[in-house]
Amino acid sequence: MRMGDWYDRNAFWLLPSGAVIFILMLMIYPLGYTIYNSFTDWSLTHGDKVNFVGFRNYLDIFFRDDRFWGSVGRTIYFTGLAMVVEVILGVLIAVLFDAKDFSGKRVARSIMLMAMMATPVAVAMVWLLIFEPTAGVLNYLFKSSGLEALLGGKQLWITDSSSVIPSLVLIDIWEWTPLIALIVIAGLATLSREPYESAMVDGATPFQIFFRITLPMIAPTIGVAALLRLIDCLKTFDIIYVMTMGGPGYSSETLNIYTYQMSFQYFNFGYASALLVVFLCLVLGISLLVTYLRRGLEL
Amino acid sequence: MAKVELKNIEKIYEGNVRAVSNANVVIEDREFVVFVGPSGCGKSTTLRMIAGLEEISSGDLMIDEVLVNNLPPKDRNIAMVFQNYALYPHMSVYENMAFGLRIRKIPNDEIDRRVQDAARILSIQEYLRRKPRALSGGQRQRVAVGRAIVRNPKVFLFDEPLSNLDAKLRVQMRTEIAKLHNRLNATMIYVTHDQVEAMTMGDKIVVMKDGLIQQIGSPLLLYDHPCNRFVAGFIGSPPMNFLEGRLREEDGSLLVEGEGFKFVTADIHRDDLGKAPSPNVIVGIRPEHLRIAGSEEGESILNAHITVIEELGAEAHMYMSRRADDTENLISRVEQRHDYHIGESARFIPDMEHVRYFDADSGRALLGVIGPIRMSSRRSALSQDE
Amino acid sequence: MDTHPANAGPRPFLWHRTFMNILYYGTIVLCVFFFLLPLLWMLLNALKTPLQIVELPPKLFFMPTLANFENVFSSQNFLQYIYNSLIIAGGSTLLGLVLGLPAAFSIALHKQKKLAVFILVSRMVPGITFLLPLFIMFRNFRMVDTYTSLILSHLLVGLPFIVWVMVPFFESIPRDLMDAARVDGCNVFSTFIRIIIPISMPGVVTGGILSFIFSWNNFMFSIVLASNRTKTVPVAIFNFISYAQIDWGGLMAAAVTITVPVLVITILTQKYVIRGLTAGAVKG
Repeated sequence: MRMGDWYDRNAFWLLPSGAVIFILMLMIYPLGYTIYNSFTDWSLTHGDKVNFVGFRNYLDIFFRDDRFWGSVGRTIYFTGLAMVVEVILGVLIAVLFDAKDFSGKRVARSIMLMAMMATPVAVAMVWLLIFEPTAGVLNYLFKSSGLEALLGGKQLWITDSSSVIPSLVLIDIWEWTPLIALIVIAGLATLSREPYESAMVDGATPFQIFFRITLPMIAPTIGVAALLRLIDCLKTFDIIYVMTMGGPGYSSETLNIYTYQMSFQYFNFGYASALLVVFLCLVLGISLLVTYLRRGLEL
Repeated sequence: MAKVELKNIEKIYEGNVRAVSNANVVIEDREFVVFVGPSGCGKSTTLRMIAGLEEISSGDLMIDEVLVNNLPPKDRNIAMVFQNYALYPHMSVYENMAFGLRIRKIPNDEIDRRVQDAARILSIQEYLRRKPRALSGGQRQRVAVGRAIVRNPKVFLFDEPLSNLDAKLRVQMRTEIAKLHNRLNATMIYVTHDQVEAMTMGDKIVVMKDGLIQQIGSPLLLYDHPCNRFVAGFIGSPPMNFLEGRLREEDGSLLVEGEGFKFVTADIHRDDLGKAPSPNVIVGIRPEHLRIAGSEEGESILNAHITVIEELGAEAHMYMSRRADDTENLISRVEQRHDYHIGESARFIPDMEHVRYFDADSGRALLGVIGPIRMSSRRSALSQDE
Repeated sequence: MDTHPANAGPRPFLWHRTFMNILYYGTIVLCVFFFLLPLLWMLLNALKTPLQIVELPPKLFFMPTLANFENVFSSQNFLQYIYNSLIIAGGSTLLGLVLGLPAAFSIALHKQKKLAVFILVSRMVPGITFLLPLFIMFRNFRMVDTYTSLILSHLLVGLPFIVWVMVPFFESIPRDLMDAARVDGCNVFSTFIRIIIPISMPGVVTGGILSFIFSWNNFMFSIVLASNRTKTVPVAIFNFISYAQIDWGGLMAAAVTITVPVLVITILTQKYVIRGLTAGAVKG
């Protein structure tokens, strides 16, 4: 009896305590540790001597490290390209799906879901085979259909530095457009039919209805979907690492890949820690900025 | 035996918002008390404080002379019926009713006996195996009541239990709960915003507004002798008519007059009205006390034209306005057949002995309680204004 | 607007509709094929001989062989990797539910906004930010290549996700239900166990399934923290391609093996998976 009362009074910290302890031990402490390390020159390849170097790592990153700036540029290139295509394509597919009821809708949705949930490493493997310059089906299709000219001589896909990022983006589009589509479909399903009916009574054309009614009403949903994608796009790792490891050269090395290489290829813990802090600030900064902008624009 | 006492109970939320101020109520054993008032008046908060679901900011809550302020709900020996039934969707009707007993580790055969008894009383025996979602609104309501009955509590608490039912079912459940009260002989506290429910079910009614108790008393006491303009307007349907007027002495009689009317006050009211703080008063007349005059002459006359006539068969409600723009709705309840039409002017005669008067500024009743009144509470028409 | 039957007869209207229908269903079929083909390609090539795989034009009809699967399961410790993946995904999901459900309930019940924001921000943080310090920590404790370190690291993804799915779910439970349980004699914990969890099963299933799949699919944490003893299937598959000569058939067979369980779960629990993935983005 008394014990139950004690539980009741202390539930507010007892209930989340497990999660909080986990967060403190495996998120907060490591984060602090990383920040601390970022001010040292700790490197496994230079023995165990660790010196405190102040802001030198950060200065190096911003003023001396071309590879860092290159990876920032590629991250933005990759994210921007993927986002634009995925949002437009996702919304279009959602609107198509919502427009009519047809048999097989469930199957079609399942297939999109499968693309998204399939193990990324396995997905990377099959795309490796598809992209294969000599035995791959993609080059064969272009060649046999006579559309080879469209490629502009870029049949090397991920093995050529100029086409590697668009090729990786194609996989990202394949994998993640369904997420945007599914979110927007769910958003469309919650819309009230009345504005449509009144617009049709008012004599609006389908295009007017789409741009004046549907789009404004699902804009917030699209925004959230895009934000989720943005956060994940910036962090894309599996596909890129498995397929190219950042290559050829550094031509597909995004920020995430670069920090990974610095950490686990070169074991340059001090410098990698500084990179991680910069990466973290960038991702959180962009995410919060976008969230803030969205609020400012519509709410 | 369960007597519930609220002594200077207050509820103050963060930011100094007063939900309930200085509530004093005595609920006698086996009494059916209804808390009534518009939404946000603090009635539900008061009930939740009695239940122990809401902390009491100050004051004492006694159940059977025991201070229970700091007891959790389970130790107060109360049961509660919620507005949305709050049935556990994953349990059968039987398990819903048994749950409270299982938590209290009551033996299984005893649980079974009590559940079967309650099911019989509420005639829900056939549904015991079903899940709540397979029941209609009325059936769910019965299960919610059954869940309270099996606990055999000292006090039953009802939080607007009928507000989600349709009109017909509401009337039916109203009488069933009243019957249940007679049968179980338990103390019941009932919260509603519906004054008809309050009038028809309560032994005693507590009228609340803005966190303050306005008046406590039997239904008829509140109806006949509302302590202020709010209670007068809130209790009764169709509502009381209010006319702004001015008291004036003329030829030895006390007149009250205003736009379109001139009344001679009843002799029995003279003493009280003489003590009125200001000659500006609100005259309150119940619709049944305002009859259409026909050719009959009287010294108290209200002139108005008819705007709407609602024929109900046994009676008619005649809506009228003293102004050409129809912006007011005065109501007269006419029990005989008549041949008046919309738009016609007519004269109405009030039953002056039943007219109530309120101070124009404070809204307080100007008449003391007179005559024999049926009261079920020793604390009768105690006004608790400000 | 002008609907004179003379110049807008039924025939042109019908033709227009048929054309639109063809366009409509054509686009849908095209989309579906785009999303389906790579997965189909994976399965098809897993059933081909090495020669058939590199053959151009690719054969769509051929005598399927299970040789690739036999190779994978016999030459590699593939069963061990599957077992590792199951232990790690199961463990991190279980732990995620045990820690995440009460936390989500508390956030919903006590309106602990700060805690909520905190857990959700951790969803934005790049995993690699935690991975390096965790690797160093686990290395110091000699915990690299143990189930514990992998389960804990996968929890970094699963726990915030479970909280993210469950908070809106718990918030939608009527307050009256918890009050009723209190009047019936429950304290916060028995209410949680006996009322809240049973009626939240759809949410729990959603969070659990997705947490399991995320862990099963996880590559980055596993490749750093897992080694011979705890290697998971994605890492094993990745290691295949470091061989000089790529065995495409084996690779595809391994890819199919790891993907099929995920896809089966996804299809069987489609409703929950979609709800979980779209949670938070769509407010009803």
